Amino acid sequence: MYSGRAFGRLRRVINDAEAVARARDGDLDAYAALVARYTVRAHRAAFLLGAGEEADDVVQESFVKAFRHLARFRVGEPFGPWLLRIVANETRNLTRSRRRRAALTLRLATAQPGGAAADGPVAEVLAAERRARLVAAVGGLPARERQVLVCRYFLDLSEAETARVLARPLGSVKSSTSRALNRLRGLFVDEQDRVTNG
Amino acid sequence: MADRGSWRRELEAELRAAGRVVAVPPAPDLTGAVRQRLAAPARRRRHLPPLGTAGSRRGMAWRAALAGLVTIGVLLIATPQGRAAITGVLRFAGIELRQGQGPTPGHGRGASLPGVRRMTLAQARHRAGFPLLVPAALGRPDEVAVSGGGRVVSLIYTRTPHGQLRLDEFAGHLNMLMFEKFIQFAHVTEVRVNGSKGLWLTGPHDLIYINAAGVPVAASARMTTGNTLIWGTGRVVLRLEGRLGTAAALVVARSAR
Repeated sequence: MYSGRAFGRLRRVINDAEAVARARDGDLDAYAALVARYTVRAHRAAFLLGAGEEADDVVQESFVKAFRHLARFRVGEPFGPWLLRIVANETRNLTRSRRRRAALTLRLATAQPGGAAADGPVAEVLAAERRARLVAAVGGLPARERQVLVCRYFLDLSEAETARVLARPLGSVKSSTSRALNRLRGLFVDEQDRVTNG
Repeated sequence: MADRGSWRRELEAELRAAGRVVAVPPAPDLTGAVRQRLAAPARRRRHLPPLGTAGSRRGMAWRAALAGLVTIGVLLIATPQGRAAITGVLRFAGIELRQGQGPTPGHGRGASLPGVRRMTLAQARHRAGFPLLVPAALGRPDEVAVSGGGRVVSLIYTRTPHGQLRLDEFAGHLNMLMFEKFIQFAHVTEVRVNGSKGLWLTGPHDLIYINAAGVPVAASARMTTGNTLIWGTGRVVLRLEGRLGTAAALVVARSAR
């Protein structure tokens, strides 16, 4: 084994697949590494997909379920989308059981460039305002369209990954994306043309 | 009038930009809670290896496989052909390097390590849980910050021939993750610093701090500036960051004492 003295060594190469394999054998340390590695992403996904304040519970439940379903994880498959599919499913169960209203309130982070630009040049303030309204508009889209946009643009998933995470056919993801973008275009692109032309 | 593809591309770009600044509450630390639930014996039994497989032998096989991978990992990062073959994660001295883009591109202006406190060098020496090193080549730092309750000490040099330099230090003898970096492995090369292995990372990349519970701290995520050299001395791991070249970084590293 490659092992140097106190430092000077590469401690180990442990990728997701190895952590999964070890977790499957009951190694909770290996699984804890996956939990630590994916908590931020899973929590972001749960929140943005509609879990809101219950995102913490959704993510905890998802990690427990994912561990119990590790036998179904196919070797070579990326862990992230596989986990996010469980997160998305848990989020769906939650929103269904709560009969939560369809819209999701999305805002910009206050400490982000949007906030920082408040004293900045007019163009930056306008851009931040526009971004805030865009985010709010995404939150107000019908759930199926909103979820696709969240996956594609807020979680940076590909169309194929989005289909997998949302358990929907690829064609349905593509058509929902187009429908949602067209809706937003009606709200935003025309407005921009008017502003720049007028 | 804009064609169909162009408005769509613009809107998609705007959505991606908005996604980077959408408010998401801080993620909780779930490692303890999840572990506790999974450790309940009745539930755990279902996940033991199937009958007929010797768990301990499998464990040994894994360790052997991991040992092989470590050696391969070291060789691969040194050869351009090997770089493309690496996917996943590379751990080096408490820093985990992950291939690809980070979770928070574009963030970082207000990013800071948790519990960051400015203090004098002497106070930092007292506070740090490891022997602090100062590079003679840079002299006294302009600012010293201690974060995470003494886990990380940062020396900031605001005016050097290479602009601002930042040197993060943390204990090297603990097998504990301190930072996660998101980078293309093609930008990672191996270097020797005082006879030990070091890593030279070119170009800005995402950096996130991992707290004592092993959870990435979202508020710490930021894009690094310039290049980064990571090396260690046995008891301390050092991470030098700034717009300097490999030769200059090695001079700084070799003068740390």
